[in-house]
Amino acid sequence: MVQRTAWQSGLQGAVRLGGGLNRVVEWVCAALVAAMVGIVWYGVLARYILHTGETWSGEVARYVMIWAALLAVSVGVYRREHIGVELLLGRLPPRAMYALRIVIDLIGLAFFAALAVFGVGMTLSGGQQYTPLFGGVSMMVPFLSVPVAALLSLVQMAVVLIRDYLVHDDSLPAQPMGGEA
Amino acid sequence: MTLVAIVFFGLMLLGVPVGIVLGVAGMAGLLQLGGLNFMGMAPQRFFGGLNLFTFMAMPFFILAGEIMNRSGITERLIDFADALVGYLRGGLAHSNIVASVLFAGMTGAATSDAATFGNTLVPAMVRKGYSRPFACAVTAAGSIVGPTIPPSNLMVIYGSMMGVSIAGLFAAGIIPGLIIALLCMGVIAAFSRRLRLPKGERGPSLLHIVRSFRSSVLAIFMPVIILGGILGGIVTPTEAAAIAVLYALVVGGLVYRRITLRDLVDMLVRTARVTGVVFLIIASASILSWWMAFNQIPQAIATSFLGISHNPQVVILLILGLLLFVGMFIDINAALIILAPVLAPLTLNIGMDPVQAGVMIVLALNISLMTPPVGACLFVLSSVTGERVERISAALWPFIVVEVLALLVVAYWSDLTLFLPRLFGF
Repeated sequence: MVQRTAWQSGLQGAVRLGGGLNRVVEWVCAALVAAMVGIVWYGVLARYILHTGETWSGEVARYVMIWAALLAVSVGVYRREHIGVELLLGRLPPRAMYALRIVIDLIGLAFFAALAVFGVGMTLSGGQQYTPLFGGVSMMVPFLSVPVAALLSLVQMAVVLIRDYLVHDDSLPAQPMGGEA
Repeated sequence: MTLVAIVFFGLMLLGVPVGIVLGVAGMAGLLQLGGLNFMGMAPQRFFGGLNLFTFMAMPFFILAGEIMNRSGITERLIDFADALVGYLRGGLAHSNIVASVLFAGMTGAATSDAATFGNTLVPAMVRKGYSRPFACAVTAAGSIVGPTIPPSNLMVIYGSMMGVSIAGLFAAGIIPGLIIALLCMGVIAAFSRRLRLPKGERGPSLLHIVRSFRSSVLAIFMPVIILGGILGGIVTPTEAAAIAVLYALVVGGLVYRRITLRDLVDMLVRTARVTGVVFLIIASASILSWWMAFNQIPQAIATSFLGISHNPQVVILLILGLLLFVGMFIDINAALIILAPVLAPLTLNIGMDPVQAGVMIVLALNISLMTPPVGACLFVLSSVTGERVERISAALWPFIVVEVLALLVVAYWSDLTLFLPRLFGF
């Protein structure tokens, strides 16, 4: 009994950590989107009003966009916003549906794991490539978004697996299936 | 090839999220091609699929739409639409369609239209005595006006990928979008007596029109500013989208004073979230699409199409049939990324203008959002309103018929589709 409680409270701790991590990632995403907007505004100002002929804004904004969108993939995992075709799920008896949902999450887990592993390889290979920005920034900086985002999504996938199927506690801020708009 | 097909359809049927299905199927294809050596392509295509400056227009338009929505502009636009057509029999249904047109400049995806109007107009229509399936059907039918009239996410994706002018696609979408709206209103008018749709309570009132126009004029002008900038060749679509964000901020924050800093953070997060969901699909589809290109599947499909007939008219019909069919089952962003490299060369081969072909492909995919069994707009409306998908589809078919008619007009009457792009010199 004691062990079981320890196990449960350990799981709950993991879920809380996942929630905290998600909050941080959401703030980073908001900051990156704001930065992307600001950079393109600056680009428009420079091109049409200041006529400075700057060339970096488009490329920097593009990489900021990729970082923001890919980090937000993990937020979508946490909030269960990546949805599939629910044609079969809705027609299954409850126990089978429960099992299938766990299988679906495990497939997602495997996908993000593979993306993270091979994403590291790509990032390292970017060490020899340079963007034309500011006299040369390593391509590792934009490439890093893929393994980082995949790793975060992997973590959040595990967190929601625990939250939605293993923890039995009403005090946690549980997300309803399918997420909210 | 069979392995990838089995993985793809198997996972899709199980209910695995679309973005993950595409990625796993793509990776399965890479593994089969060359084992672990080819897996390095997966993250590269995943990253490369997003690495386009023009794609930034999507999050910008999402953010601008969020801001306008939060500043209460949706209600103002609906009120203006109601002033224009609300006094007719079936007035609220007509207003729904007109509001879709007014709203079109602030939205690039049919599902977001369906969600917004499903939350606001469907309950309003039900209160006024419309049946809920019919209210949902009208909303679904109107939801594809938004992404046909610019801006449109699918047009941004198609233009970016296939090197077709996004401005040209935007210009070409305006007339078809208006035609669809008129045809839908025609359907409402034709059915209004048989369905005993309620008449509007107020008569036509010039005063109401003027007052509601003045209250919503700033929102109505947003698409004018965006389109003017793009079509005039002054700014690129991405820049115009960034300017739209600025405009929305000024209107929402300084004029209507409905936006707080706290709201702004929320909206930035929501923009990232919505973008993240779409971009995961785009990035993963890029893996699969690279595998298809490597196996020369696009050429094989093109050859088999041309094997059936060399007659351009027949080939167009085959293309439309394929798009409507595929769009029923697969997320339309993914369908576009996978099918565009297949279909674009085919349309060139039969002598279609690239802009016209693009608008046709985008419109067909949008229409497929409403077709059962798995049209995304049906599911969005069903989850927002609680109405059953089957009952919505039953009320929807006359609208689908006229929208397919509009699609055929776009596909076969190039002078109409290309009138505006030519006028603006694209």
